[in-house]
Amino acid sequence: MAVVDHSVAGIAKPKPDNRQARAGWGLVAPALTLMALILLVPIIVAAVLSFTNYSLGNPGFDWVGVQNYERLFTRSTYEKMFIATFTYVVTVVPISVGLGLGAALLVHSLGRIGDIYKTIYFLPVMATLLAMAIAWEFMLHPTIGMVNRTLEMACGTWFEALPFFANGCAEGFPLWLGDRDYAIWVVCFIGIWQGFGFNMVLFLAGLTSVHRELYHAAEMDGARSGWERFRLVTWPALGPTTVFVVTISCIRAFQVFDTIEAFWPQGGGPNKSAYVMMFAIFEKGIQQNLIGIGSAITMLFLLFVMFLTLIQRWLVERKVHY
Amino acid sequence: MTRDWWKHMVLILGTIIVLAPFYMMVSYSFKSPGEIDRGEGGFFGRQEMMIDPRCAALRQPDRADIEAARARFAGQDDASVQASLLAETEADCSMRPVLFNYSKAFTEAPLIRYLLNGVIVTVSIFLIQIVVALPAAYALSKLKFWGRDAVFGLVLFCLLIPVHAIALPLYIGLAKLGLTNTYAALVVPWTISVFGIFLMRQFFMTVPDDLIDAARMDGMSELAIVWRVMLPTAIPALLAFAIFSVVAHWNDYFWPRIVVTGNRDLFTPPLGLREFKGDGDGSFFGPMMATATVIVTPLIVAFLLAQRRFIEGITLSGMK
Repeated sequence: MAVVDHSVAGIAKPKPDNRQARAGWGLVAPALTLMALILLVPIIVAAVLSFTNYSLGNPGFDWVGVQNYERLFTRSTYEKMFIATFTYVVTVVPISVGLGLGAALLVHSLGRIGDIYKTIYFLPVMATLLAMAIAWEFMLHPTIGMVNRTLEMACGTWFEALPFFANGCAEGFPLWLGDRDYAIWVVCFIGIWQGFGFNMVLFLAGLTSVHRELYHAAEMDGARSGWERFRLVTWPALGPTTVFVVTISCIRAFQVFDTIEAFWPQGGGPNKSAYVMMFAIFEKGIQQNLIGIGSAITMLFLLFVMFLTLIQRWLVERKVHY
Repeated sequence: MTRDWWKHMVLILGTIIVLAPFYMMVSYSFKSPGEIDRGEGGFFGRQEMMIDPRCAALRQPDRADIEAARARFAGQDDASVQASLLAETEADCSMRPVLFNYSKAFTEAPLIRYLLNGVIVTVSIFLIQIVVALPAAYALSKLKFWGRDAVFGLVLFCLLIPVHAIALPLYIGLAKLGLTNTYAALVVPWTISVFGIFLMRQFFMTVPDDLIDAARMDGMSELAIVWRVMLPTAIPALLAFAIFSVVAHWNDYFWPRIVVTGNRDLFTPPLGLREFKGDGDGSFFGPMMATATVIVTPLIVAFLLAQRRFIEGITLSGMK
């Protein structure tokens, strides 16, 4: 997606006759129509509706100006929405990219044996997230879940010296999903659990394209330690991959929904601590039929995502290459 | 090898965390409710005979049953007839936990139907995507016509739009057309894959022009060239795209959740699982995890069988 090859356009035979033009338009017509109807018109519709108080089933609507947007920036519900969304993105993106890179470096250095880890770490990417969210919910069940049972095993050992365990053994371990201090972090954890294998595979693809000679050259120039080689060769060479991985992780993180809906079908977590944007669009726009406010959130969402992608394209075009 | 031990330690720790929920999901799908509650039985559970509480409750012998069975147990009083009947019921209703869980998964909800819906939706999405994207990709890569660059620019712009993000206006449109709760609603928003067009165009760029010129000499129409010349050359790219598309839509939960409300006949696998969770009480953890296992297994097995292709397909979006 990163690089668009414009140069090849000139290769086609220079005889733009009518027949080819007609065939060309005929062949792109279905795609063009669908693109307009499914991708472009809805954005315009959302943009228009975000200035109205429309509801499905009502015969008409009133223009309400920027009232919907004003609400987004003044009501505490939406403040919680922004906080939850940004907490999620800012936590999940760096950690899942970092873990992805770390895992890729380790797996790459192990050669063929490393492939088994690659396979395992990729499993969460393939698995239906909703099913895995339910599995995690059981793991985190306060009384019969595996997590708290495992933690309880540490009671009575030297682990109790740690405040977390001392507290947990005395008063019970956290409720995790029911606790507003933990809820969003648990969701972040599952996001990282699910996403870092994907990033790892992208980094691995990037690593295989780093030339061996570069490492030799770096060594000649005095880069003896592994860290030096990483800093001087690997990291710059992975530049384009990193930009892409960060962008796609951001876009995916913004779209988090499945886990939130599975854990808290009503309301987005204890005290709305995990009320992310996609869930807000779903709850306001579709369940409560407040199309105006839902459209306003949609527009903001699109703005964020497009902004991110444009930054990525700009970075790539400036060539983050070495 | 020996100096790599710390790498293995780190990676094995990661492995444990990555696999934990899978382990639990499969393990719970084998265990009886009691074992799940008490957290015992190892991975497979002890597989002791258990009594299906619902089955036993349904077949509780009443007065009429005892009268009817009197002939079979000649010469016994009512209490002992009832006891023998109860024993029979329990024998009929008892089964191994693993059988109980998986049979419940398939009988409590029409899971087969859900799986079939999943197949119908993913396959139709993929086929329509190809029918729409392939000719466009061919035209954008191999035909010269006025406005081509503008169309391609539009494709690049549309790559920026995540379909999930515009779910609300799409939903309004479908609702206006009266299409919610239909297969069409599940498929329509995905019929256009801008990414597919982009990908196939990049691939077609590498196909030599001579091949196409030769086909034109043979008097093939442009549409015939797309399907009879370009399609066969594009099989590897198509396969990667197929995996990308099928995985995304088999696992998708957000969009089906929006357009399918209540009509069980249209539920895709994730929706079916969600409903199971909604009305599940404690004793149904086992069957629910069995459902989850059934839904997750097809893709995992396919992935393990063709890892390289899958990783290629899923990370496709990351390559040029």
